[in-house]
Amino acid sequence: MTRKPTKDMSRVTSQKKPVIVEEDDEAVAARALKAPIPRMEKNMKPSVILVGADKGGVGKTTVARALLDYLATNNIITRAFDTEYPRGTLHRFHPQETTIVDLQSTSDQMRILDTLNTAQVKVSVIDIRAGGLLLAMQALEDTGFLDAVAAGDFDFLIYHVLGPSIASLEEIDEIAPYVQDGQYYLVKNHVNDTTFFEWDPITHRRYFEKVETAGEITIPKLNEMAYEQVEIAATPFSTFVADRTAEGEPAGHSFVLRGYVRTWLHKIADEFDRVGLLTQLAPRSGTRQAKALK
Amino acid sequence: MQSLGCGGAAIGPVTHMTSGGRVYICCSPDRRVGVSTTARLLTDYRLLKGERVAGFDTDPHEPSYGVHFPGLVKAVNTADIRDQISLFDTLLGEDSAPKIVDVWSRAYGRFFETVREIGFFEEARDRKVMTILFYHANTTESALNGARELHRSWPEIRLVIVHNEGAAQLGAKARDILAHYPAGGKLVIPELHAPVNKTLEDASLSLANFLHAPPPSMSIVVRAALKAWLTPIVTQLNSFELRLAMESGLFSN
Repeated sequence: MTRKPTKDMSRVTSQKKPVIVEEDDEAVAARALKAPIPRMEKNMKPSVILVGADKGGVGKTTVARALLDYLATNNIITRAFDTEYPRGTLHRFHPQETTIVDLQSTSDQMRILDTLNTAQVKVSVIDIRAGGLLLAMQALEDTGFLDAVAAGDFDFLIYHVLGPSIASLEEIDEIAPYVQDGQYYLVKNHVNDTTFFEWDPITHRRYFEKVETAGEITIPKLNEMAYEQVEIAATPFSTFVADRTAEGEPAGHSFVLRGYVRTWLHKIADEFDRVGLLTQLAPRSGTRQAKALK
Repeated sequence: MQSLGCGGAAIGPVTHMTSGGRVYICCSPDRRVGVSTTARLLTDYRLLKGERVAGFDTDPHEPSYGVHFPGLVKAVNTADIRDQISLFDTLLGEDSAPKIVDVWSRAYGRFFETVREIGFFEEARDRKVMTILFYHANTTESALNGARELHRSWPEIRLVIVHNEGAAQLGAKARDILAHYPAGGKLVIPELHAPVNKTLEDASLSLANFLHAPPPSMSIVVRAALKAWLTPIVTQLNSFELRLAMESGLFSN
């Protein structure tokens, strides 16, 4: 089995220098099968992916991090905005592509929205601070962004990360008026062994079945120790799996923990594939994503 | 089915490992079929050759393999993440000393579930660590299905079928039963008569030391029976190791 060197793009986007890794034929073929989306064309519609939650501790930033990893793995150049101003949380793991902003500040609103059409990077991920989803939607409405979405100027995806409480589910109703022209996904994050009232059909029906969504995304549970070690490492998930530090040096992480994270990332990638995320960001005919959706 | 002790063309997966360590995983989904005995024999075989060994007993409550090798075999609980790290990270470590794992029957499902989830066999292949499964046959459907499932999941991993004639008697249809198992080799452990078998239970009895110099206090009858039992096992293991060495190209330029 021949091995071919290739650059690991996920590490290119998140670290100072690219790291050459070896891939065998099977890995190269697998990457080719994924049909990586080509560099964004100038006239391609910009996409905004909002990741938000009602309360803290539901794994919102985890979802944002997994999303950035998925996009990087699929060669989608992305920029991210961390609204946990001023310290940031997402920024800690993806410093190269993340900017800490205050979404209530006009200048930062301009920084995000006014550059959607002009920035070379066409996909923007906004990690909304805990409890700020409704405020963020109001700000986006006030700035005319939602009107622009309705007019077809931008693609808008909302990943609403749910918590296990009724209060979290009630936020679905509050958000509903703002997401009508976007792709609204409910994200069930099982990282903390959470349940979402699947055991109570009446409650489940009351909240999950009355709102029109583009779909549900399930984030599976990740072993606590594995999660903790990634937190300590302060790197993207894929960098941890590759056993590298943020500087690209060998990290010496446990193989077992890396294995758990790798499998977890694959399951999440399957979920994003299932909802056709890549096709939504750069629709084209004949892609593996388009075929998968049929 | 290729026997470890026979000549003839090799069947099953051919490995081309030229470096890296070896991991021997002794297992069965059923209990009392001789798994710990095989782990013990493999360990004593390596010690007989003057090699270092690292062993893991996955029965944290009654480590019947580990009791014979204090200090050499570590008891691990495969349900505990820290013990999983201790086990699997060591199996893939740069230390080239052979590693032997006794998979407790109750830990069988969890063990291979973990192997699958963390991609252990794939990582071992990438690190040129040879992994060999010593899977114990018996008359049950679950044993046969288990072997087939392992072979289906990881067809490139060498699966050696162990027939312990004393612990898992297959009767007159032994040949037919074993023929159904997917195998890259076979190891036959002869039956040992009960009085002699009792001697094996002595935790202080080292089979490696016995072969070097039997304890003078041991009964001559027991001594002879034990040696007669061990000799064909050692012969099979010698042939097996030689075959592995030839397949891995150790003797090529």
